[in-house]
Amino acid sequence: MHLLPKFDFYEPDSMAEACKVLAETKTEGKIIAGGTDIMVNMKKGLLSPKYLVSLAKIPGVSSIEPITGGIVIGPNLIVAKLIEFDLMRKKFNLLSKAASVLGSPLIRNRATIGGNIVTARPAADLPPPLMAMGARVVLMRKGKERELPLDDFFVGPGQTKIKPTEILVKIIVDDPPPFTGWDYVKLMHRNALEIAIVAVAVRITLDSPDGIIKDARVILSAVAAKAIHAVSAEKILIGEKPTAKLFARAASLASTDCTPITDIRGGAEYRCAMVETLTNRALSAALLQIKSK
Amino acid sequence: MKEYAIINSRLPKVDAWAKVTGDARYTDDLTMPNMLYGALLQSPLAHAKIKRIDTSKAEKLPGVKDVVTAKEAGLVKYGVSPARYDETIFCDQKVRYIGDEIAAVAAVDLETALEAVSLIEVEYEELPLLLDPFEARKEGAIAIHDDFPNNICAEVHQEFGNVEEALKTCDYIRTDKFVNKKQDGAFLEPQSCIATYDLNGNLTLTSSTQTVHYVQRTVAMVLGLPIGKVRVTKPCVGGGFGPKASANTIELVASLLSMRTGRPVKMTFTREQVFQHSRARHQFFHELTTGVMKDGTLIALKNVCHMDGGAYSSFGIATVYYGGSLLGAPYKLPNMKYDGYRMYTNKPANGAQRGHGGVIARAAWEQQLDVIAEELGMDPLELRLKNMMKKGDVTCNDFNMSSFGMEECLEAIRDGSGWKEKKGKLPKGKGIGVACGFFVSGAGFPIYRSETFHSTAMIKLSEDGGTINLYTAAADIGQGSDTVLTMMAAEAIGVRYEDVRVSSGDTDFGVDLGAYSSRQTLMSGHAVKQAGEDVRNQVLEVLSRNLKIPVEDMDIKQGLIIFKKGKVDFSGLRSQYIKEHRGWVDAPSGDELTFKEAARVAYFEKGVVVGRGSYKPGDLGGKYKGAAVGTSPAYGCSAQVVEVSVDMDTGKITIDNMTDAHDCGFAINRTNVEGQMQGSLSMGVGEALYEEIKFDAKGRVVNPTFGEYRIPTALDMPNVNAIIIESNEPNGPWGAKEVGEGAIMPTIPAILNAIYDATGIRVRELPVTSERLFMAMKEKNKK
Ligand SMILES: Cc1cc2nc3c(=O)[nH]c(=O)nc-3n(C[C@H](O)[C@H](O)[C@H](O)COP(=O)(O)OP(=O)(O)OC[C@H]3O[C@@H](n4cnc5c(N)ncnc54)[C@H](O)[C@@H]3O)c2cc1C
Repeated sequence: MHLLPKFDFYEPDSMAEACKVLAETKTEGKIIAGGTDIMVNMKKGLLSPKYLVSLAKIPGVSSIEPITGGIVIGPNLIVAKLIEFDLMRKKFNLLSKAASVLGSPLIRNRATIGGNIVTARPAADLPPPLMAMGARVVLMRKGKERELPLDDFFVGPGQTKIKPTEILVKIIVDDPPPFTGWDYVKLMHRNALEIAIVAVAVRITLDSPDGIIKDARVILSAVAAKAIHAVSAEKILIGEKPTAKLFARAASLASTDCTPITDIRGGAEYRCAMVETLTNRALSAALLQIKSK
Repeated sequence: MKEYAIINSRLPKVDAWAKVTGDARYTDDLTMPNMLYGALLQSPLAHAKIKRIDTSKAEKLPGVKDVVTAKEAGLVKYGVSPARYDETIFCDQKVRYIGDEIAAVAAVDLETALEAVSLIEVEYEELPLLLDPFEARKEGAIAIHDDFPNNICAEVHQEFGNVEEALKTCDYIRTDKFVNKKQDGAFLEPQSCIATYDLNGNLTLTSSTQTVHYVQRTVAMVLGLPIGKVRVTKPCVGGGFGPKASANTIELVASLLSMRTGRPVKMTFTREQVFQHSRARHQFFHELTTGVMKDGTLIALKNVCHMDGGAYSSFGIATVYYGGSLLGAPYKLPNMKYDGYRMYTNKPANGAQRGHGGVIARAAWEQQLDVIAEELGMDPLELRLKNMMKKGDVTCNDFNMSSFGMEECLEAIRDGSGWKEKKGKLPKGKGIGVACGFFVSGAGFPIYRSETFHSTAMIKLSEDGGTINLYTAAADIGQGSDTVLTMMAAEAIGVRYEDVRVSSGDTDFGVDLGAYSSRQTLMSGHAVKQAGEDVRNQVLEVLSRNLKIPVEDMDIKQGLIIFKKGKVDFSGLRSQYIKEHRGWVDAPSGDELTFKEAARVAYFEKGVVVGRGSYKPGDLGGKYKGAAVGTSPAYGCSAQVVEVSVDMDTGKITIDNMTDAHDCGFAINRTNVEGQMQGSLSMGVGEALYEEIKFDAKGRVVNPTFGEYRIPTALDMPNVNAIIIESNEPNGPWGAKEVGEGAIMPTIPAILNAIYDATGIRVRELPVTSERLFMAMKEKNKK
């Protein structure tokens, strides 16, 4: 039987207090958000923090605030809200799309965006779109903040640049520039409750409606120790006119940018092949989005 | 067709309110005063000698009330079939799979019990591992059970007609191989039980089981108790599908611990333990050779099957027979040869699961028939129609199709799916496939050879006559037998549905072999019908004496007595009833005599008004060895058409439509029949596309969770067009026969045939994951 190990639970009502509590626990404390990851690991006996600190009572941690040129997302915002909020669906629909294929309704009503980022699973659904959008995270320790591009945040499976007593307090996403299109494609065994076999997020920005690609991001998920940029694919896309031929070449290059393993969800060879297929599809969809705006 | 008051309708389930409001109680929801919690120590190694067990530290832990090993439990062997009793409560000399039970603890709470388990020290000496059934049967392989030196747990050799000779006459012969993966039953409620041994030496075992009767016998036999002192009862059960159709370890261990401590003991499996205990679908390796004539007439079938049995026999003896006997039908096939082998390996034991033993053989053969149809240039549906058995036909292995709406099923799905418009006309990436199947309505014999009745029922009237109490040991495990039996009782007596109160799933209520082999509607149904008719006759006979009216001139309908020859003066009975119930506000009124009043009169005369029913199948034919596995009083049959879309660049399969027709003889509850069809189809979809228990090199299950062992979600199931066919089975109550398992038979092959239609790829290994299909397509493109 899997029983939860014993722990003390804190629910501070300010971020300053949260920092203090966490600092006092030294390395024996952990933040708990929705608990859909940490509780599973605790029950399995992989983790047994002596203290759990929840941010739920702190004002503003579960909201989305528009700021000049973008939005700030609170770490405790549940995944369901990323789909529900009008602003998200209209302007940041890439994140909404990824959110809509995360887990099941039950999971989406508990799981948070902060938890999905910090837990740093190589196949997590929210990091790829956030990276494609150029998101930044704000981390806080002892009341002091530092900002990091999400690109630099992940280290490996379950590992990030966050310090044991540091708290993820904000996720900042810029408004998409004009002539931008994007897509997130997740290959799953079933149609729900799945960790991706392979997932790809892409974003392309043209310099004019019929112009050349000014900026391109191709993020590959579940094919390396963390979500990665398909660097060579991005490179050949930038500066070119978007064509089916170009996309096919970029997709083919993307499959050489990844280093998948064979595991319980799929074989390495299949995953590589799927990177190509999904990248191609995502790029075409992104372009279509720009054209139909 | 005859009109019925209750049956053949869509009445809501008797437990609908309890289920939808969450009020229904399952075993793990229950507690008893003073209850202890049990926990198991299970082997971390798949094959090893036990050198030493030291329980002293566990015994000293405060809160621990008992620690037991083989020394305390004894070494009485048990299993499912008496021919292969190969398990003991705890391992004595050696362990045979990861999860094999070594010791158990009872403590005041689960935390303490688990901690105590971790304090038990066991010293092992590792033995060579046998995870592959073909390795296991090789000369010189170490024996997993000493009595079976080649690790062949069971083998079957049967021949009907003369296959070699018949093949010589065939125009076309082909051989194909097929393999599936070990399955999990994937019921939502893990096994759980509470054992309570009282001061008079009576054991009450409350358990999540499909078969209170078999559990009662096993517990009594292993623990040395008289059967009458063991009562097994089940509360609500959250599914079983086969693995809960025999006694499990925790039922025996909790009983033992309760007997020793004198306190109630609860034990519940984790999901991981469910996967380890397993007893679900085997892995089958079939090689089928089929011979036909140019016009598509089926002539002969040779079936060689190897099965990975796992560490113990469980239901495997029956499984290895079913792996052969469930082919042939539903087609006329004069020659059939079967060689089946079940091997022991160091993996969790495999047993029975929906469509016992026949599902994979069926998948293999129905796909092969599709290939044959294509080779002969025939429409696969026409090939099936051409060879179809009809009512009254008997198979070469002596199965008597006393009713058989196979042709109606095929026509229904052909017309219901638009087969003619679609077959051969769909674009690449879209496909349509067909398959058929059949299944028993209960086994002809219990799992132990016996003259026992298979089902008994008792109906007792409340003294006021207003409530009809139905007692049966049949097990409602979610499939709805309580509902169906309640409807049958009401119909047989002539009362309203809501007048019948059903109590079931308890050995105190009689004998019933339980919910397996799709038997309860037919067998328990016969007993209930008989008991209902008995009560009805008793009431009418008393009434006849009282009112001086012949029984034949009366009837009971909707809880009212019908006097066929016109009005009768029953005012005497009525005023007496009313006098006796002064103050009651629901005194009988109106022009008709109520059943309540009539039953009250019967009570005055008899004191106890009890109707009795019991059923066992008669002689079902088949004199050859193994005839007991497959002969049945009736056979259900079905046909399905599946339509799929395949994403040609990823291999991902989407099931677009399923059209299913099933001949259940007569639908007692139409919604329930459709529910069984839908459930079977969804289980088939899971087995076809996703489900596979995976092992690491040490024999450990690496995906013992519903995250990585995938059953279909609601989003993976298409809408199902479920068509009920009713062929009026002469051996069934009101003509009813099975639907619970037979409906799964065509699902997997219909999906495979549709995948072929969409892609040109024949997949002969399950599950057809997107990866497997993609790689196969890639391979084909290379050529
Ligand atoms: C059945 C099931 C299905 C799932 N399906 C998916 C899926 O399809 N896709 C997917 O990506 N994931 C899936 N997951 C994983 C999980 O639900 C997500 O990763 C989820 O977003 C985690 O969020 P949470 O709020 O529950 O995190 P928690 O479990 O509360 O926390 C996760 C980790 O993040 C840390 N943490 C949380 N918030 C902060 C913070 N503000 N500052 C610092 N550290 C923090 C915690 O300490 C912990 O280490 C699934 C999980 C389950 C149980």
